[in-house]
Amino acid sequence: MDATPGAPLIQIRDVSRRYVRGVDEVHALERVSLDIPAGHFVGFMGPSGSGKSTLLNLVSGIDRPSEGDVIVAGQRLNDLSEDELARWRARHVGLIFQFFNLIPVLSARDNVALPLLLTKLDKAERVRRAETALRVVGLEDRLDHYPRTLSGGEQQRVAIARAIVTDPDLIVADEPTGDLDARNAEAILDLLRQLRQHFGKTVVMVTHDPRALRFVDDAYHLDKGVLLEGEEAARAQEAIRVSAGAAGARGPR
Amino acid sequence: MGLPLSYSLRNVGARRGRTLMTAGVVALVVVACSLFLGLISSLKRTLVSTGDARNIVVMRKGSDNDGSSQLTLEAYQAIRFFDGIARDAQDQPLASPELVVQPFFRTREGGRENVLVRGVEPVALAVHDNVRIVEGRMLTPSSGEAIVGRGVLGRYAGASLGDDLEFGRARWHVVGIFDADGSSFESEVWVDVRELANDAKRPFPYSGVRIRVARPEQLEPLIRRIDDDPRFALEAERETEYYAKQSESANTLYVLVVGIAVLAGIGAGFGAANTMYAAVQARTAEIGTLRALGFSRGAILTSFQVEALAVAAIGFVLGALCSLALSACLRRLLGGIGFGAATFTVNVITLRVSAADLLFALLLALVIGTAGGFGPAWRAARLRPIEALRKA
Ligand SMILES: Nc1ncnc2c1ncn2[C@@H]1O[C@H](COP(=O)(O)OP(=O)(O)O)[C@@H](O)[C@H]1O
Ligand SMILES: [Mg+2]
Repeated sequence: MDATPGAPLIQIRDVSRRYVRGVDEVHALERVSLDIPAGHFVGFMGPSGSGKSTLLNLVSGIDRPSEGDVIVAGQRLNDLSEDELARWRARHVGLIFQFFNLIPVLSARDNVALPLLLTKLDKAERVRRAETALRVVGLEDRLDHYPRTLSGGEQQRVAIARAIVTDPDLIVADEPTGDLDARNAEAILDLLRQLRQHFGKTVVMVTHDPRALRFVDDAYHLDKGVLLEGEEAARAQEAIRVSAGAAGARGPR
Repeated sequence: MGLPLSYSLRNVGARRGRTLMTAGVVALVVVACSLFLGLISSLKRTLVSTGDARNIVVMRKGSDNDGSSQLTLEAYQAIRFFDGIARDAQDQPLASPELVVQPFFRTREGGRENVLVRGVEPVALAVHDNVRIVEGRMLTPSSGEAIVGRGVLGRYAGASLGDDLEFGRARWHVVGIFDADGSSFESEVWVDVRELANDAKRPFPYSGVRIRVARPEQLEPLIRRIDDDPRFALEAERETEYYAKQSESANTLYVLVVGIAVLAGIGAGFGAANTMYAAVQARTAEIGTLRALGFSRGAILTSFQVEALAVAAIGFVLGALCSLALSACLRRLLGGIGFGAATFTVNVITLRVSAADLLFALLLALVIGTAGGFGPAWRAARLRPIEALRKA
């Protein structure tokens, strides 16, 4: 998956996602279109229930749109079967979750090495790469620790190591700072920015953390399943900026 | 590649309480199943080992056991000089006329059991050469004496050396104790054949004749000659076959026990399924994570199935250890176990849980694990990553 820097890595084309709940239909996303350039750190922002996670899940191939197309590095995700999509995720996407989602019975090293089980690498190489990834996130002295013995910030860093260990082009993070205190949240945001700066990763993050505006290249705002544009987007961004007293992030487009 | 074995095993270890409870239920099934099978196979082994490959059983045509056969003195006198019968140092043929009766004996605990009493002549010890007097001496004919098998010893009132046994119309003085390599002879009381016939007021003196052949190749011709003799309507067969047939009734019991074991196994299967459903429920987000990371449905299915099998395997190991220990205790405390199902008389058997009994219990445990684990594993594998992750 090689894309020239600046060219869109992700193309979201007229994407809608509806959930059927009994007789009701929830319109989680309505005709969203968006290009995300390779090597950018992008934030999806908006109030709870606005469809941020839904959009992220479509981008990472965890979910499929009801209508429209998601194209990542030229691959139309709709063209892939369930199993192919799983393999595609394993190869091209690194996932980071709000609640870290580490496997409790595995050590930090084994958690990080987990995605490598889906590659052809031998055990020694898997361990080597897992330890390298843990060094990148600053946890080289926690290799044998189990998740429950780590702080929230440390757990999220293990999860980030797990997300980068396969060297994916795309890293997606759903509220990665949602369960962390201020200091740890900033450290994680900084780490994600470094992944983009030093390793050229494209990072797509869902957040309603106002601090995030200082770290991302672009912020997109969702409301009730619709992507805000122009005036509306600027107003949403301003509201967040004021609430955070933050400055420095560029607006959308 | 799928999820590593260690992932499944650690999850089993992580919920120690539930694992032990479920494994305990499986263990109970394993214990019950292997002990009962052990009992039946011990009985079969006892019966089958009673037959000697060099011996022939002669009975009246149409009888299927000693107890229901009758033979005249003339018949015995005629066949004992047939060709092919082995002879002792005094050139007497090794043909042992025997009378079998099945009186009630009073057990030490006050119960009543049918015991096989065999009337014999001294030649019986030569024909059944696995029978050895281990204490006291052989009975003297016509003197109201008895020798008792090791299994009978101490089990019934008067069944000890120097004591008097009461059955039929007489008292029998116990002068010897014999063993017989664990065969069912050890569950018998032997007395003088003529005295027994008198006491039992039998119209015919014998139930049958046991014959030792001189050479193996003479066995078949001798059997045919006895079968074909028009004078007495007799039937001969190999002694090994005779006891093998006696042990066939144990097969019905086998089926019964296997049936009960399977029923209990189904119960245990539900227990295992319950535990695994709880595990899937508790780990929904974890499964969603694994699926999101790219692990296939097959990998999830396998891993949960392995967990269920591991729990069942733990149950098997616990159960197997328990039943080996229990059977050892039973052997030590009770000596033998009275088992009256296969024949009318009680066979005192030594309970031994064999490798085959344990193998069956292992298969049962693995089936419990597989069947109990499949539903939950299937549910886990079918979880869609987004649904699972929403429950985080
Ligand atoms: N699996 C689902 N089934 C039904 N409704 C869902 C499901 N996932 C999300 N929704 C609904 O879709 C809307 C958008 O959800 P989501 O993308 O999770 O919002 P956000 O991440 O911005 O808080 C919400 O109204 C939510 O209740
Ligand atoms: Mg969300």
